[in-house]
Amino acid sequence: MSALGKARSWLEERIGLSALVALAREKRVPVHRHSLWYYLGGMTLFLFGIQVVTGILLLLYYRPSSGEAFESVQFVMARVPFGWLIRSIHSWSANLLVFVVFVHMFSVFFLRAYRKPRELTWLSGMLLLFLMLAFGFSGYLLPWNTLAFFATQVGTEVAGRVPVVGGFALRLLRGGDQVTGGTLTRFYGFHVAVLPAMTTLLLGAHLLLVQRHGMSVPPSVEAEAQRTGKPPRDLPFLPGFLLRDAVGWCVALGTLAALAAFLPWELGIKADPFAPAPAGIRPEWYFCWMFETLKLLPGRVLGVDGELIGILAFGLGALVWTLIPFLDGEKGGERLRRALVLAGLLALAYMAAMTVVAYLPGRH
Amino acid sequence: MRTCFGALALLAWAGVAPAAEPPHAKASPAPKSSCIECHSQLDGEAAEPVKHAADDVHFQQGLSCHDCHGGNPDSEPDDVVAAHDEKKGWNRPTRLTIPLFCAKCHADAAFMKRFDPMARVDQLAEYRTSMHGRRNATGDAKVAVCIDCHGVHGIKAVKDPSAPVHHTHVAETCGRCHANAELMRPYGLPATEPAAYKSSVHARALYEKGDLAAPTCNNCHGSHGAAPPGLQSVVQVCGSCHGREATLFREVEKKKGLNLAPCIQCMVCHDNHAVQAPTDEMIGVGPKSTCTTCHGPSDPPYRSAELMAASLERLKVRHAEASDLLARAGRAGIEVGADQVALQKASDQIVELRVLAHSFDRERYLAAAGAGLATVEVGVAAGERAFRELRQRRLGLAVSLVVIAAVIAGLLFKIRDMEGPRPEP
Repeated sequence: MSALGKARSWLEERIGLSALVALAREKRVPVHRHSLWYYLGGMTLFLFGIQVVTGILLLLYYRPSSGEAFESVQFVMARVPFGWLIRSIHSWSANLLVFVVFVHMFSVFFLRAYRKPRELTWLSGMLLLFLMLAFGFSGYLLPWNTLAFFATQVGTEVAGRVPVVGGFALRLLRGGDQVTGGTLTRFYGFHVAVLPAMTTLLLGAHLLLVQRHGMSVPPSVEAEAQRTGKPPRDLPFLPGFLLRDAVGWCVALGTLAALAAFLPWELGIKADPFAPAPAGIRPEWYFCWMFETLKLLPGRVLGVDGELIGILAFGLGALVWTLIPFLDGEKGGERLRRALVLAGLLALAYMAAMTVVAYLPGRH
Repeated sequence: MRTCFGALALLAWAGVAPAAEPPHAKASPAPKSSCIECHSQLDGEAAEPVKHAADDVHFQQGLSCHDCHGGNPDSEPDDVVAAHDEKKGWNRPTRLTIPLFCAKCHADAAFMKRFDPMARVDQLAEYRTSMHGRRNATGDAKVAVCIDCHGVHGIKAVKDPSAPVHHTHVAETCGRCHANAELMRPYGLPATEPAAYKSSVHARALYEKGDLAAPTCNNCHGSHGAAPPGLQSVVQVCGSCHGREATLFREVEKKKGLNLAPCIQCMVCHDNHAVQAPTDEMIGVGPKSTCTTCHGPSDPPYRSAELMAASLERLKVRHAEASDLLARAGRAGIEVGADQVALQKASDQIVELRVLAHSFDRERYLAAAGAGLATVEVGVAAGERAFRELRQRRLGLAVSLVVIAAVIAGLLFKIRDMEGPRPEP
């Protein structure tokens, strides 16, 4: 027996690899005109993997204090071999990851892949999306540059406006009444410990549920299969689908490398808490649509703080969106489904339009 | 110096009687008196003092007409004789006696302290040292006295932006006389100084940039003791703001045991009232050089000026090259923030060279230029290193993309090989 065979046999006795491989080989992916959307989950996972690896590498040099954070990132960018590449890929990949997560979420929504029995898959996915946003928000501050400092100040202020728990949330996030070095250390803790731990648990649950229920076939494809009596073709997950996934991952890797080489992520100017807020403060692009909405709201609406109304509306919207599988149950009629699709399209259009508005020249 | 004007603002309200006792300090606004009641019903010049009373700093402090002019404020409104009773100290000052009239309070430390514990009381003493004061003492009634700068009635505190002696109005106030050629002719003064000052870098800083630290007339000439600074004082006067230049200049004198004052002063190169922003062309032997005004090609300083200008120019050129290289590298995405910060030292060294020109010390100047050049060369090297790295990045990307493309091609071949051609539907 070869050395590889011996090693495999040794592992087989202890772990039972063949059972796991057999389980994976059992998994099949339907092939139909909407199959492209199935690759987004794998793409998200791949980009998250990139984040973990590059994040760990950045940890080797990063120093989470207001006196050293900026300088340590500057050192990574200027002096550490390939430091610029690692940091740029981490930043670009984070943005790409959020983008892909949103596309993944909307594709699941419009294909109604959240239907019974996948309600918990949707729920865990939504929680993962919120976690990704939290990763983005906490990571944005870590280089301790001017833009991030003031954007964090604005962002945490929004959290502070939430009724009842706002004051507590503000102090929890900032570690005091102001954004200080203490906030940076706290965000660092969230970014590298709290959020990864929560993500690991939820991601495990999400993947387990995907494995448990398999891929959802869109209702239109199901109806067509029923009509024609021909079920959709399928593909083994191993190796066919995984190899196709890998092609997408390679394209993503090439894109990230090109972005890092041609548009390295800027470091900006070190934050000065005593300096006046500069022009052009805005959060990361995926928060811009909310930021713009809050800016457009009048100071008071029917005697109530306009910003507060906006924040409550966002909170309520997120809650309703998260609970969609329970609203769009089996008893829901066609009218409800059409209304949901329309609501989804409107939400998507609104988010896209307000994001574009935020980047219009002279807007900030 | 500006505080002198503030004190003088309190000095000249009106009237005479230097021998009279200072009035009592009062905290509340002046009560109505027969002076006001009567004069407010009069016309012309007699009504003027009352018209401006409300704006007057003395009135606001609780003083009234009789506190300066004497007389009887309690007389019946139509009893002119009783109101202007000389036995009760009524008086009206002449231009020659106005300084003494104002000084009866403003030279009284005990009295002035009641209104302002920091108030100066040396305005009259200073005035007597000024050209104005000296001529006034000899009986020249045309020269400026307190009221010419501060006004007669309606005197405002110097910190009041509408006061004629506020820092932003001093040049106009002085110019009322000193720009009047007819008035200046008997004194042999050209009357061109106010216009020259308005064209200066100091005036531009004050009026265009609103920089209240920029000097106006009294910052160089003094306020109450206004006089042209003597040749021996010019360096001290300019040096009160341009301290390092003045120190370097004095070092030359001390080092070489010379008294340069009679032949070279700040104004020889920089002018006095029409001081312009200095340029680097002033150093050297070019057409705009100020060195060549005195030194010809046969003078050793001529060669020094030539070398100093050349070293400054070289430093500036290399600094611009380094800045440009680093800026372009930064725009291309290379992190050069720390190198740019390091290069800022060279900017400081260029400024230092401009200042060092006032030492007239060639060796010292060239040594400083050499130090600046060394800093700049580090910046140039950092910029070149950044561009080498940029090229390496692009090359690395190209290689990576080739490898990735090969992997993608391999994967596609593998998929095709595994699954074979798709069956026809």
